[in-house]
Amino acid sequence: MYLESRRTFLKGTAFTVAGIAVAKGVFSTDAAAESLKKSKFTNTPDTLSFYPPLDQWDSFQELDGTDWKRGGIGRHGVQSEENPDGILVHDFMIIPTACSNCEASCGLTAWVDKKTLTVRKYMGNPLHPGSRGRNCAKGYAVQSQMYDPDRIPFPLKRAPGSKRGEGKWIRTTWDEAMTTIGKKMGDTIRIGDELSRKSVMYHVGRPNENGFVPKIWESLGLDSYNSHTNICSANGRTPTIHFVNDDRTSPDWGNAKLIFLNSSHAADAGHYFAQAAAYIADARKKGAKMVVMDPRLSNSAGIADLWLAPWPGTESVIYLYLASRILNDNLVHRDFVKRWFNWDTLMKDSDYLNYMVEKKYVTKLPEGRDFDAYLELLKDMYAPYTLEYAQKETHIPAYKLEKLYEMFIWAEDAISTYVWRAAAAGNRGGWMVGKAVFFVTGLRGAIGNVGGTGFYHAHDISVGGKGGSATVGQGKSGVDVPPVKAWNELTWPPEWPLNTYEMSFLLPHLLSDTAWQKKWNDRGLQVPSKLAVYAPRMYNPVWINPDGFRWIEVLKDESKMELTFNLSPVWSETNWYMDYVLPVGLAGERHDQHSEATLPARWTTFRQPVLRVALEKSGWKPKDPNRATLEAHIKAGLGEVWEENEFWFQLCTDYIDPDGSLNIKKMWESKRHPGKAVTISEWYDAAFGDNLPKLFETVMNDDRYKNEEFPVYAYMRDHGVWLEEDKIYNVQERELKIEEEKIESYEHKYDAGSMSVDGSGIISVVDDKGNSKKIGIQIDGKKIQGFTTPTRKLDVYTQWVAKDWKWPEYAMPIYPRNEQEKVEMVHIVSHVNHTYMTEKNAFALNTVFRLPYNIHTRSANSKHLMEISQNHDPIWISTGDAKRLGFKRGDAIRVKIVDTVSGLESGHFVAMAVPTEGVLPGTLACSHHGGRWKLTNHVTIPNGVSDGKVATGAAPRDLSNKAFLQESPANVGKAGAQTKIDDYSGTTGINSFGVPVAEIQMDGKEGKLKYVEGIKGFKAERFPEYNRDSENVWWDGLSGSWQNAVAAPHPDPVSGMHCWHHKVLLEPAQAGDKIGDIFVNYDNNMKVYQAWRDKLSRGLDANSKLRRPRHIFRPWVKLDPASYDVTIKA
Amino acid sequence: MDEIIARSNIYALLSRILLQELDETMVKTLIHDEIMLEFLPHWKNWEQRTTVAPKVLLETYLNPDFTNLSLLHLVPYETFYTREDQMIETGGANPVTDIYSAYDFLVDYEVARVVSSDHIGIELEFMYHLCEAQKKALEKNDAQAVAALQRVQYDFLHTHLLQWAPMYLINMKYESRTPLYYDAAEMTLEFILTDYETLHAVVAPAA
Repeated sequence: MYLESRRTFLKGTAFTVAGIAVAKGVFSTDAAAESLKKSKFTNTPDTLSFYPPLDQWDSFQELDGTDWKRGGIGRHGVQSEENPDGILVHDFMIIPTACSNCEASCGLTAWVDKKTLTVRKYMGNPLHPGSRGRNCAKGYAVQSQMYDPDRIPFPLKRAPGSKRGEGKWIRTTWDEAMTTIGKKMGDTIRIGDELSRKSVMYHVGRPNENGFVPKIWESLGLDSYNSHTNICSANGRTPTIHFVNDDRTSPDWGNAKLIFLNSSHAADAGHYFAQAAAYIADARKKGAKMVVMDPRLSNSAGIADLWLAPWPGTESVIYLYLASRILNDNLVHRDFVKRWFNWDTLMKDSDYLNYMVEKKYVTKLPEGRDFDAYLELLKDMYAPYTLEYAQKETHIPAYKLEKLYEMFIWAEDAISTYVWRAAAAGNRGGWMVGKAVFFVTGLRGAIGNVGGTGFYHAHDISVGGKGGSATVGQGKSGVDVPPVKAWNELTWPPEWPLNTYEMSFLLPHLLSDTAWQKKWNDRGLQVPSKLAVYAPRMYNPVWINPDGFRWIEVLKDESKMELTFNLSPVWSETNWYMDYVLPVGLAGERHDQHSEATLPARWTTFRQPVLRVALEKSGWKPKDPNRATLEAHIKAGLGEVWEENEFWFQLCTDYIDPDGSLNIKKMWESKRHPGKAVTISEWYDAAFGDNLPKLFETVMNDDRYKNEEFPVYAYMRDHGVWLEEDKIYNVQERELKIEEEKIESYEHKYDAGSMSVDGSGIISVVDDKGNSKKIGIQIDGKKIQGFTTPTRKLDVYTQWVAKDWKWPEYAMPIYPRNEQEKVEMVHIVSHVNHTYMTEKNAFALNTVFRLPYNIHTRSANSKHLMEISQNHDPIWISTGDAKRLGFKRGDAIRVKIVDTVSGLESGHFVAMAVPTEGVLPGTLACSHHGGRWKLTNHVTIPNGVSDGKVATGAAPRDLSNKAFLQESPANVGKAGAQTKIDDYSGTTGINSFGVPVAEIQMDGKEGKLKYVEGIKGFKAERFPEYNRDSENVWWDGLSGSWQNAVAAPHPDPVSGMHCWHHKVLLEPAQAGDKIGDIFVNYDNNMKVYQAWRDKLSRGLDANSKLRRPRHIFRPWVKLDPASYDVTIKA
Repeated sequence: MDEIIARSNIYALLSRILLQELDETMVKTLIHDEIMLEFLPHWKNWEQRTTVAPKVLLETYLNPDFTNLSLLHLVPYETFYTREDQMIETGGANPVTDIYSAYDFLVDYEVARVVSSDHIGIELEFMYHLCEAQKKALEKNDAQAVAALQRVQYDFLHTHLLQWAPMYLINMKYESRTPLYYDAAEMTLEFILTDYETLHAVVAPAA
């Protein structure tokens, strides 16, 4: 019929008006269409995974982000002279860097707009083998942190005549600060005695670099490096040190069949989160199962194949139950266990075997001493860890434990696991959980193999401190830097000789505890009673450590801390009590070599100040090559923001030791330009080039780089990441290399002629200091590296812990098997075990989990992160418990903290109840990452504007403008050269997007905090283009309570870890209580620390000859071996 | 040549009627053009066509009906019918936009006053432009271009207009409250189906 119609439609030719007059004419073929035709852009990308090829990174055109909001170039065309209303095309220079918000160092690229010298966005770096171009919310937030309207614009100094904590500040210069700090440090070092070498302290929160800053302190000859590790992960690292003498695990998530997470840490908030989570997702796509063990239903637990909610601190029982089943079902990986467990050490140790019988660990001595007898011994020892006992002690239903066993066996040797915070960080004896984990995974052969659990040092690159060949004095890789001759008792106290990392959370207590100082001074040690200089770096010890009021007391005391400064880009609770706040850069504003063990490979990132790099690549040259980053940041309008590398270089050469008399200057003096500090390009060209042979070879064969002045530096500048070695498994099996009379083990070379093999097969050499050193093991006739333990095997039996360091009962993986043993083995029983929950309103409070999207104190400067995470830190309470106690959702409750060692109360905090099925009955959950505070909304710096009279430049900030590239501010950091700060009126806000105002009261014994004002929207003056929505703040900023201040220090008797969990008593809020209130009896908290120290630790005594085992290296700085020696008077 | 002129004119006419409210000039044309009236029989016989002033016709009858048919009760956008979630794709990911772009056409939304380029009026006007291009090719005796343009028209009808416009037009016909839009719906439906068959006869279907 339609063909019939055709003839009818032909009549259309006879319309009186032609089509052209009728049609509306909606199509344009004007400039907009023409502009589109000429451009390379299309309406839709060819693929969503598109990323600019590397050869376009110097100049990559991309449409403005409003493109899609406006309907695309299909509507408006591309902007041009003829088409001014089209979509703007940006000309980007893409500069690689690395995220610094958490520890994972995911790759980032800064998209620098050449027209404005601003970073328009941060994206992933597709070259990064770990993050693979992806980032979490924190990575993309780097831009908002860079253009935070509250960022500190120039160096600040406590106003003369004011006291610490009064909040009176003046603008100072980098030179003035460095002169004061350098002189104080130089004067202290010049004293030259033992005490002076312990009287300056550097305290780092998140290092996010590998070896640079430690090398500074090593070159200063000070035992000064202090880290936050003991409030973070010491209990997670201790078992790794005991078992394999490594720092932490490095699971092969991507190839595992069983992802066994002790806590949610790897998969939804914590260590290496974004990279780990992506590899875990890959594995699950291939069929892997995920088990999450956590008393709280975390995001990861919610999507796991199995969620286990054990009572905090009882996790060892689960692992030992699995071990018992594996042993009894004859499912042991015999080859692996026979080859790599140190079973022969145990079976030869009659004394310890007898001890095991005496302690009833086993029912009888083994009949033989061979491997089968060892397995029988293990069966005997772990027989009490039955399903019934595991269920009773852990509160996990039997069917779930049986399901776990099925999955564990199903996964064969492809079991990747992680013990980091959670059980380890929360509980006294949490380190034993890790030991039990390694034991049971080892029984199945899942150690170091494909899909199994490897270890950190094989998967890490640490060269940031090894650029010594660029300096006058350090020698290649720093070989000529003398070792430090001191032992700082403030960080390595004699009560905890096996502590893992520094006892940093006790610093204010040890400085306040004059009785403790006297005790050890009387016994022959030289314990500091004060610090000449205390220098936290991007760290907020007041807020994050337990017993925050004690920190404030000590920080305010100028007789205990004579000079303080924080290298910090943002305001913090701690900065309020500093003498200087020196603004250093964030992720895209600093240089770091940073590597982490996120997969079985060795990669490193190169973090860079991206605006400086963009300037340099465009042809700009700094007036002062030693302050290039400072000049660049001033030029780009960020303010007088510097970076630490250049700061430390010059502090050492020009301010601490300007005349070279301390032998420090030459350590950081440029070999190319004697008399001047080494430069960034000189240092990192040497650091990377001297120590990464594959990188060096690659660069020297690359025509783009081999003729550069600093070829390796230039390569890393352009790529931002390097993979030195991939697919690293079973490193213990690697044969020792013998070449040219040298024998190599774990990348160290020794004289092959000094090699000897003992009866156990252990291979030793004599090192260049004349000391015997174990370097490998001979098995089946092959000389291989083995592990780095004293037995070169996995120390399931830690003989040295039993025989030399007073803890025989914990030399094998163990957990009390009854209530009596819980009393005897109190050191490895959690202080929040259900045994201690005697009152009806008593609970175990789980504090150790991160809030997704937040990283401790380093995210309140990002509106983006605050907006998506705020107000998410209530008290999780099980619905049954809430009903029993009469609490409803939203109720304010008092959470009173009670110590189970001393019986003392620490005070209380008021929190909001949220009844949920997602928490184990009898336990509570409330992250200790809530409760930020500030004492005022704004700070006015009286001379902040008047001192800023020097313009940053005359030409517009445009990388294609030659005049702009030729100019640079002169004398940066010096008096008279203070620059105008863009859009700065003299007053700055303080963490305006995430921190409410509080009032605090403290009298030396008791402290209180009460929030008085929430945050509000405001009109941002600085970086207005990036903060157009600053008025849209709809949350009040109260994210929980500052429970850390109420928490008393709980030093684990073995590892020294602060055990974060608490026994708490819940009470209804009282009249006048508001959520967020805290009350602290910090006088009691001091007594709690002393009780844990005196009742539980086993410190040095008159029989001690060593401070700690020599084979457990102290981290960070190279110590003189004599520093380990000690004599304690009776 | 007659055929291409006729097709071009009809696509222009239908696109204009279905795109926006009519203006007085256009109404007058529709009142008086005898050939057009042949295509619109109910409109032709509607008493008000000749007894009511064009302005009043528009304000009282035609515009309310158009608003009802294209804004309130019915949805004249392709993606509404082709996406599972029945969302109109207003951004750059609209496949029709890609086709326009491929032939250097860009919708001027200020003129079109639609939310998306896959509006029935826009698609019909696109067909009109293709016909005009074919007409020029014929004038230049460029047989290759003629064949290519016929192929494009055929594909566009096949891939786009015929996939959804019949559903809209059938509903429009029964929902309409004025003879003009009733006839326009029927005429459009019949025409695009006829035109598709016409093109099918000269364009070998894609393998």
